[in-house]
Amino acid sequence: SIQVRQKVVEVDPKEAEDFDRDLRALMQESVESRRLEIRARPTLNMMIPMNVFDGTKDPRAIDGESSEETVDEDGGTSALSNKVRVKVLMKKGNKQQTKHMFIPRESSLIQSTKQQEAAELEE
Amino acid sequence: EETGEDENYEFGKGDFTEHACRYCGVQNPACVVRCNMPSCRKWFCNSRGNTSGSHIVNHLVRAKHKEVCLHKDSPLGETILECYNCGCRNVFLLGFISAKTESVVVLLCREPCLSVNALKDMNWDLSQWCPLIDDRCFLPWLVKVPSEQEQLRARQVTAQQINKVEELWKTNPDASLEDLEKPGVDDEPQPVALKYEDAYQYQNVFAPLIKLEADYDKMMKESQSKDNVTIRWDVGLNKKRIAYFVFPKEDNELRLVPGDELRLRYSGDAAHPAWQSVGHVIKLTAQEEVALELRASQGVPIDLNHGFSVDFVWKSTSFDRMQGAMKNFAVDETSVSGYIYHHLLGHEVELQIVRNTLPRRFGAPGLPELNASQVFAVKSVLQKPISLIQGPPGTGKTVTSAAIVYHMAKQGQGQVLVCAPSNVAVDQLAEKISSTGLKVVRLCAKSREAVSSPVEHLTLHYQVRHLDTSEKSELHKLQQLKDEQGELSSSDEKKFKALKRATEREILQSADVICCTCVGAGDPRLANFRFRQVLIDESTQATEPECLIPLVLGVKQVVLVGDHCQLGPVIMCKKAARAGLAQSLFERLVLLGLKPFRLQVQYRMHPSLSEFPSNSFYEGTLQNGVTINERQSLGIDFPWPVPNRPMFFYVQMGQEEISASGTSYLNRTEAANVEKIVTTFLRSGVVPSQIGVITPYEGQRAYIVNYMSRNGSLRQQLYKEIEVASVDSFQGREKDFIILSCVRSNEHQGIGFLNDPRRLNVALTRARYGIVILGNPKVLSKQPLWNCLLTHYKERECLVEGPLNNLKQSMVQFQKPKKMYN
Ligand SMILES: [Zn+2]
Ligand SMILES: [Zn+2]
Ligand SMILES: [Zn+2]
Repeated sequence: SIQVRQKVVEVDPKEAEDFDRDLRALMQESVESRRLEIRARPTLNMMIPMNVFDGTKDPRAIDGESSEETVDEDGGTSALSNKVRVKVLMKKGNKQQTKHMFIPRESSLIQSTKQQEAAELEE
Repeated sequence: EETGEDENYEFGKGDFTEHACRYCGVQNPACVVRCNMPSCRKWFCNSRGNTSGSHIVNHLVRAKHKEVCLHKDSPLGETILECYNCGCRNVFLLGFISAKTESVVVLLCREPCLSVNALKDMNWDLSQWCPLIDDRCFLPWLVKVPSEQEQLRARQVTAQQINKVEELWKTNPDASLEDLEKPGVDDEPQPVALKYEDAYQYQNVFAPLIKLEADYDKMMKESQSKDNVTIRWDVGLNKKRIAYFVFPKEDNELRLVPGDELRLRYSGDAAHPAWQSVGHVIKLTAQEEVALELRASQGVPIDLNHGFSVDFVWKSTSFDRMQGAMKNFAVDETSVSGYIYHHLLGHEVELQIVRNTLPRRFGAPGLPELNASQVFAVKSVLQKPISLIQGPPGTGKTVTSAAIVYHMAKQGQGQVLVCAPSNVAVDQLAEKISSTGLKVVRLCAKSREAVSSPVEHLTLHYQVRHLDTSEKSELHKLQQLKDEQGELSSSDEKKFKALKRATEREILQSADVICCTCVGAGDPRLANFRFRQVLIDESTQATEPECLIPLVLGVKQVVLVGDHCQLGPVIMCKKAARAGLAQSLFERLVLLGLKPFRLQVQYRMHPSLSEFPSNSFYEGTLQNGVTINERQSLGIDFPWPVPNRPMFFYVQMGQEEISASGTSYLNRTEAANVEKIVTTFLRSGVVPSQIGVITPYEGQRAYIVNYMSRNGSLRQQLYKEIEVASVDSFQGREKDFIILSCVRSNEHQGIGFLNDPRRLNVALTRARYGIVILGNPKVLSKQPLWNCLLTHYKERECLVEGPLNNLKQSMVQFQKPKKMYN
């Protein structure tokens, strides 16, 4: 493969700080505008298609090294690309859709990881 | 050898694939998203490049756009990201939740859907809501980060270029980065210089900067309106209505201070007409309530408590006075002496000596004995038309200033004007000077007359009220009438004003010394006064034009006191700050070759605590005026890792988080440990007023206050009495024990506020008896100065980890520091 000269990424701390401030301001503005917008109790509109939860354990749901996911963004420094396949529920207009996606196992989103952690803590 | 740069790679507009990142050109469909703003629709990638946030996050933040759409070839296909429950598309509010038992996830907004109670009862686990934008980047498993190869091949854009191209897109949405090279785009203001031809040129440079800062300040303050404010009503001693309410604070440095003007509004309902009134902030309570004294007491809807709105009333006074001072400096020959005029502009001037008979001793009655460096400073200053005194922390600069003012006043050249940028500093100085026996008048802004002051008896408004309280005094009679009725008839009011003005003038004229803020020196009540001798304390915290206000009243001899190694003036407008408005006059004079007299003996810190600041900020010149014995906290049983070294760096690995308001940071582990340390101090007999907790982030400050009073094992009241505040609000003050919570703990972004060496200096030099620093050495060690500090603590066996009752030396590895920025 090609040898690439290592570049040093230097983030100007002042710029970074300014950017950070703008980001936080935008986040706050977003939260606050929503708070004002929605005075009444928000309604629940979480229609879930029946088939989503029926699919018990898909043998491929926990996917150690699936074919397309092995390419590691970090250039292979962390060799274990341990990913979990999840269903993503989305709406297109009024219709629900399910798509698949891979999420790193260590993501807090993944229930099994949490249990694993709990087990480790007990030791 | 191949390099990452490919000469043949074209970045011309036409060569871009439609979905290429508009900043860097990366075009991998898995790595890019489209901004969904109808007027924008540009594509950006999820790589950070040379900035702290990824390109797409950079764009959304700079352009204030909030919706995105995924690429059709990405795993989820062409999809606009939105809340599954309510359809909200604001990516700054979105995050994933997963089902409790299955591998199913959905996007949900955090306001309001995340707090919908009914959801908790369903199959979803809300506790692990995972924000879409984390660490300034989209979740990398949703939008991939381009590989290193791809990034190296891409265009290397800087944050400055991004800023500029975003600015350009506002007027020309199709512009490319190449268009930046064209002239006329960059409208940065003219930067400050070291020397100026004349005062007109000086004004030409500074006036636009002050204008920029004023516009920014106005914009900021006027956008600070709060709705749905709840009011608690009270009546003041002067019978005026006082409204108490909570005004949320943020990190953006806009803090309410006493004297600020706010407008309180009620929009009206069936039973109440619409109502509004302006008032002044008279205090901020310990419970973080604002007390607003209303100007009009008629028609106040005191039977109501909810649904009020509060706006900031912006006033241009301080900026107008700076502009006025610069104008005077230019057009009025007598505004400052010729020598000072040329010196301030950086012209070569023959050194001048002020011919004064020097006193035999340099101390002053009512003040502590001066040490050698203080005597030297006083003596030298009295003989020079313009001088600088640098007072590192705890070196007695207020006492030295007071001694200088005492001797100046005794020289009989007229009244001495004493200023500082902050009211707190002016009060302190006024008190010290007054203790020498001089007649001191403290002039306050009209808006601050209701604000309580530790030197109330010295204030002009107090003295006017108490000068003559006999039966015969017409002014006194009218004042009493006004207090009782709330107002006077128009003829009485006219008479009252005239009498008051005359009395004010009389009192001011009979003073030896007049103390006010720098901006206060532009008060119309001083318009006809001339001051040959002026001392400005904390001058390193004032901008140049601010410092100029007290000078243009005829100054012949000026002393600037300060410390350019501590925090400088706060400039809100980035453009103005970049152009150099944040540099104080003191600093420029140092650059021009004027050497400050440095006070060298510090009386505050335990010698172990002064060692690092002395070596890092003052070339090792700081001497200790206190011994280890004098700073031994007897009877205090605290687990210092090394006895006789009351300091340690407590290694913390907890994560930083964005606080609930979304505008700041907090770190739960650090907060929990702060509480443990505080409790240990309190148990061993330290009282709350001896402890100060410093943290640079408002989010963490609020979290610590809350956490301590909820989880502390001792009486709640004890924790409430402990001051928890920012580095900046501790400047100029001290505590016996300081706990510093650094908060920041992330790989990609900097360490924020703590990057400024001057802020670190201030944080490290507040403690008298002991200091505990909590932080993540892995992150902090990247910054060279923090790396030195960590090494210092490690070498002295004060870098520790583990539970507080069993601290062990930490073996944590530091990172190599990056190059120093200035
Ligand atoms: Zn990019
Ligand atoms: Zn956009
Ligand atoms: Zn929602």
